[in-house]
Amino acid sequence: MWDGLVTGMMVGIQTTLIPFNIAVVLFGCFVGSFIGMLPGLGPITAVALMIPVTYGLEPSSGMVLLAGVYYGAIFGGSTCSILINAPGEAATVATAFDGYPLAQKGYPGKALAIAAYSSFSGGTIAVVLLMLTAPAMAHVAKSFQSCDYFALMVLGLTAVSAFAGRGGFIKALLMTVVGLMLATIGTDQTSGVQRFTFGTINLLDGLSFVMLAMATFAITEALMMILKREDTTEVFGSENVSNISNLKVTKKEFKKIAPTIGRCSLLGFFIGALPGAGATLGSFLSYGMERNLAKSEDKKEFGKGSIIGLSAPETGNNAASSGSFVPLLTLGIPGSGTTAVMLGALIAYGIEPGPRMFVERPEIFWTVIMSMYLGNVFLLVLNLPLIPYFARLLAVPRTILIPAIAFFSIIGVYLVTFNTFDIYMMIGISTVALLARMFGFPMAPILLGFILGGLMEDNLRRSLIIYDGSLSFLWERPITLTINLITIAIFMTPLIQLILASGKKSKTD
Amino acid sequence: MQKSKMPIITNPGKVGALFFLVLSIGYGLYAFKIPLTFLSQDETFNARTMPFVLAILGAVFSLLMIILPTMESEEPDSVKDIVQGLDWTRAWQFIVLMVAYGIAITWLGFIISSILFLGIGFYLTGERRIKVMLIASIPLVIGIWLLMSKVLGMYIAPGEIFYMIGVIK
Repeated sequence: MWDGLVTGMMVGIQTTLIPFNIAVVLFGCFVGSFIGMLPGLGPITAVALMIPVTYGLEPSSGMVLLAGVYYGAIFGGSTCSILINAPGEAATVATAFDGYPLAQKGYPGKALAIAAYSSFSGGTIAVVLLMLTAPAMAHVAKSFQSCDYFALMVLGLTAVSAFAGRGGFIKALLMTVVGLMLATIGTDQTSGVQRFTFGTINLLDGLSFVMLAMATFAITEALMMILKREDTTEVFGSENVSNISNLKVTKKEFKKIAPTIGRCSLLGFFIGALPGAGATLGSFLSYGMERNLAKSEDKKEFGKGSIIGLSAPETGNNAASSGSFVPLLTLGIPGSGTTAVMLGALIAYGIEPGPRMFVERPEIFWTVIMSMYLGNVFLLVLNLPLIPYFARLLAVPRTILIPAIAFFSIIGVYLVTFNTFDIYMMIGISTVALLARMFGFPMAPILLGFILGGLMEDNLRRSLIIYDGSLSFLWERPITLTINLITIAIFMTPLIQLILASGKKSKTD
Repeated sequence: MQKSKMPIITNPGKVGALFFLVLSIGYGLYAFKIPLTFLSQDETFNARTMPFVLAILGAVFSLLMIILPTMESEEPDSVKDIVQGLDWTRAWQFIVLMVAYGIAITWLGFIISSILFLGIGFYLTGERRIKVMLIASIPLVIGIWLLMSKVLGMYIAPGEIFYMIGVIK
């Protein structure tokens, strides 16, 4: 295994260090940071907007670009949280708890620097863990059969819903089913019959996942901004921009956050590696863990600009972002909405992610991993000094931002197929998605369901054929049974909590 | 935590669930129209199987949402609270603009339609500085066009109108 690891690393290093790929990593980090920094735009939107660009690239370069955009956007999102208390997405909400108060105290530069060092450390430690665990995981996954894959996909989709929180569990499950329904539109690959095409040739190939990603995230976000009439132009004033250049972090402060970085990197990575958990849970759990472990005098500082409180979620969310590549690269199952979009990109390249990719296309597997090292270095070395300039981007008026987002989304969809039907479809879906989002229905499970839908149906069909139409494939193999038991436990826990809470409430009433 | 006492019709989660219940039923009914070959009708798993399962799951989850009490940390906003006070007129105008862009891109071509879309979009969202509107639209569109057509070698068809008026033959 160790020989394979070294050989793989060498392949990854060679491919990553091609000047073109270095430029791609740099470009990805830069664009990701830029988009992630814009209020309201998170990594899913950033990655989705960049997918049309990847079509002109080699698969390994395309994936390197998307990975760079992903962690760049996570990094950029924290800047927005710290400076204007407007987290671009859920994963950077916890960063604002202490980052914003620290910036308000007159240390915006220090807050951004701590966030950058923590992100770098969390990201780098997690990449080492990814490098060590992913090949072993892929090795185990080589023995997986269709029924195991089907069970894993059901587990992934259930886990995403379970982590949506107590109030959102059924909503997320419902959205997953909607995503799976959308995946059935088009020609059935096995029988060749048309399903839900309504007689139009535009739907024969099914819906485009780029279109769906743009509709549910980018366009919906633009419409939300219009509806809320928000403008951040005046929020981050010019006097703060001048303070921002002071990025100095003392030795004492470094010593204080070092154990936090170590603990949160490990926690974040393992949380990220769980299907469905992702960076949001990684950041919140890291914050919670550090608050519980903090000494009483440090604990008082939490929520008022604590450097530990800032470092913990930043380390946690970056480590979890790297961790979420474990299920994507080894099992072909995305752990989060963003990795679901990346899975879609891989499928568009004609590559089926999973253990076979590890064997058949090792250059992609290892290049993505090795490019993460490079990306983390770029983010620290290049982005940190550029922070004062990036901060000015927060002053981009929404009057420019909203039409620009819509423009990039529309041309991103149009330039793939040159079919205006996709534009109308995107607008229609985004209108429904806008209302669903306003009513509290999460969008990420739709994407996950949509992307896994086809694979799930194929694996279910194959399992049923192998087992002669019997459902015994669900329990006959120990691996399948174990995965299914975990799924049942994950599925039942929020439901039991809901019923117990409901019963308690009825008694008190 | 408190159980929501909000009536179904004003509870956003339940209104949404009702919509998805109708969607699931419609999807399930339409699944009967999926054509099947004579042989596949007797198969354990055919083109209708997955849609049927999904329709049932969708209906079950929607009904669960409607029936089960809403457990929230605080009383959720009602549908009225959520939709009130928002700039719906401008949002609808923007949606119409996007549809118009979709139509225009075929007829006027990428460059003209995109510049018009961005210009009108900036105006709709409240931008009134002509200089900013021009700087933010024309170089961006031409830059994207150059990148796509000249650098990446992608063929972007000119607008139909140029063929109609005889500029391009």
